[in-house]
Amino acid sequence: MSEFLLLLNARIISFKSSVKSLNLIRILSFILVFGVFLGGAYYFFFRIFNYLLSVEIIGPVLMNKIIQMVFFIFFIMLLLSNIITSLSTFYNSRELQLLFALPIRPGAIYLAKLFENCVYASWATLIIILPLIFSYGITLRAPFQYYPLAIFSVIIYLIIPGTIATSLIFIIRCLLPKLRSRDVIFILFGLILGLTFFYIRINNPDLLKVFATENQRDLLMFAENLTTVGGIYLPSTWVGYILGTLSQGSARFHFYFLLLLSVTSTFVIIAFYLARFFYTRSWMLVGEYQSRMKKIHSVLYHYYGDAKTFLLKDILVFVREPIQWVQLGIFFILLIIYIFSLRRTPIYFTIPLWRTVVSFANFAYICFILATLGVRFIFPSISLEQYGIWLLRSSPISFARIIKIKYLFNLFVTIILIEGLLFFSNILIKTDPKFYIMLPIAAVLVAASLVSINLGWGAHYPQFNEDNPSRIAAGTGGIIAALVSIGYVGITIVILAIPAYNYLSNTYLKKPLSYPLIILSLAGFLLFNIFTIAGPLYLGIKSFQRRDI
Amino acid sequence: MNDSKRLIIKDLKKEFNGFWALKGLNLELSPGEIFVLLGPNGAGKTTTLKLITGLLHPTQGEIFIEGINIKESPIKAKSLIGYVPDEPFIYPKLTGREFINLVASIYRVKKADYEKRSKELFEKFDIGEWIDELSEGYSHGMKQRIIMCQLLLHNPVLILIDEPLVGLDPKTARTVRETFLSLKDQKKTLFISTHTLSFAREVATRLGIINHGELKFTGTLEELAEISGRKNIEEIYLKLTEE
Repeated sequence: MSEFLLLLNARIISFKSSVKSLNLIRILSFILVFGVFLGGAYYFFFRIFNYLLSVEIIGPVLMNKIIQMVFFIFFIMLLLSNIITSLSTFYNSRELQLLFALPIRPGAIYLAKLFENCVYASWATLIIILPLIFSYGITLRAPFQYYPLAIFSVIIYLIIPGTIATSLIFIIRCLLPKLRSRDVIFILFGLILGLTFFYIRINNPDLLKVFATENQRDLLMFAENLTTVGGIYLPSTWVGYILGTLSQGSARFHFYFLLLLSVTSTFVIIAFYLARFFYTRSWMLVGEYQSRMKKIHSVLYHYYGDAKTFLLKDILVFVREPIQWVQLGIFFILLIIYIFSLRRTPIYFTIPLWRTVVSFANFAYICFILATLGVRFIFPSISLEQYGIWLLRSSPISFARIIKIKYLFNLFVTIILIEGLLFFSNILIKTDPKFYIMLPIAAVLVAASLVSINLGWGAHYPQFNEDNPSRIAAGTGGIIAALVSIGYVGITIVILAIPAYNYLSNTYLKKPLSYPLIILSLAGFLLFNIFTIAGPLYLGIKSFQRRDI
Repeated sequence: MNDSKRLIIKDLKKEFNGFWALKGLNLELSPGEIFVLLGPNGAGKTTTLKLITGLLHPTQGEIFIEGINIKESPIKAKSLIGYVPDEPFIYPKLTGREFINLVASIYRVKKADYEKRSKELFEKFDIGEWIDELSEGYSHGMKQRIIMCQLLLHNPVLILIDEPLVGLDPKTARTVRETFLSLKDQKKTLFISTHTLSFAREVATRLGIINHGELKFTGTLEELAEISGRKNIEEIYLKLTEE
């Protein structure tokens, strides 16, 4: 235990040093951005809960189900993210060579690394959960003790996916050390997603159906049946019960809290003993197999002598890093599922007005997805130059040119993605023809701004000592880039909603068109985008050029 | 401005959060000169090299390469430089060949020159078939050899090297020494920072000793021996860097 505390202390000292190195302006901007995000998210959840509370019969039931559902989804997401971060934390981290050479027990190394991994994989989730907890508590007028106990329970809950993910990885890497990281990710992702699907199917088949009824009894039964979202044996359900019972001041809270605490402790103990048996062995085996190299003849085998080489380098580094494209692949699969789920929209929304509203909501959703993709894949691109930045900085290539190459390539990919998603989704929704034309034009500006925000902020806040893109994106700079991107999308939707509403009122409710308002909104949108495209790139380039390497 | 000088450093200062890493460095290097900078850890050697390459911004002072002010025309000045940092880095997910191709492209080396020079350099530094394997599996010495190849491929006139011998086997170390001496004959200028005193003695045309951010002495080995009253380079170094 003392060894674990020693390693933990080293982490805390290192964290304190990095906080101390921040200047006042940076600290204030963090507080401002986080404050705005937490406030906005709180308001969003508060409105939803308040609305649900006012809906008779089904409202309060749905409120609890939403909480359980959210924690169930977070559980699966955390399992997946823990798998990805574990591979670098437990196998690729440079300090492992030193740690394993020191007289420290592998169990202590495991616990210290588990702590690090849980923090990296979960803290972004915690940031989203906090406003959820507060809005839920305030809506239900929960007693004071609800807040600290709810947060503590959630923190305990976040440890479970970390223990499961690491244990699975140790066993697979020990049994099949020849497998490359990408194969391990594939196997575990397939296993987890497959089991999740079957678990839901067996436990609650209603969840996979679209419910349509106006009968109150059916509605209540449907809501009650959703009790088993994820099932009563899952920690996500217990967290939901903990929040529910705590908010009512019910003594049943103790049962669920102790159940969660004991199960988390059991998972940590099992993972600890598995790590003692498997971790060192698997780390050595993986190291042995990795040192057996293979010859590669890629597109960059040939000499081109122009800027194309730099672009090819970026593509090759991306393709050869399994963490990158596996996550991109998951995003794609989820997007394809989403697009296909839209095919029923014309059946449910027979009135053209509602189809048009859905198409606008779909545009907003796609923009939010792209904001997330931007933070995960574009924001880390400067940091991923790592110490290779010495080469770029000392060579006759300007940083503005490097940014330009990265910007144009990312913009090209983002435009293809956003236009593709809009094209297919609008076909399935059977969108109003004018929206067919307007939304893709707006999407180009959205893509240009999101790429600029993420690239510019990535240059402003690089982390050259980190080689894991997930961690770079989950770092402070990444979180702020995410919040700024989400803020940008929010403002975009608000601005575009004005002409959209005006148009819909005219077309379907026969209200007069206000051309000055439409022109003003579109001009405002254009000006806003000029600022969001040029501003972040300019600031990023200037900030990077001023930086000492 | 003395145009015959390859590198001119005027009153160069660098401050890091109140700590002065360099306190007014003045230095001039000519073509065909190998200048070796010696000094204890934290003396300001790496800071000096990083300032010349543009990795750090000077707090005060100017740097001219072939008469070009690096602050005013950084791209033009950097096209004349070749730099090897103390910790050589190659993108782990690139092969050695891909990395060399990348560097040569950034320096816009012509294809014909690339073909000729790469062949010579691969032979000289004993680059084997491992050049087409991912560099994440390279040893320190393998990385150093790749870095030496990329350094010389674009034919720089001013070569800046931080600790050139770390991690090299004796055979490659000898190749490096011979290469440096032949570069000197080709009128290239080399600015080397090292702790390896025997290497400094063998290749340096001029030595500099830096301590606490100040260039204490510059001169030939004979001049330094005269000043310090010692003959052996180790004794000279210890005498001139003592507190």
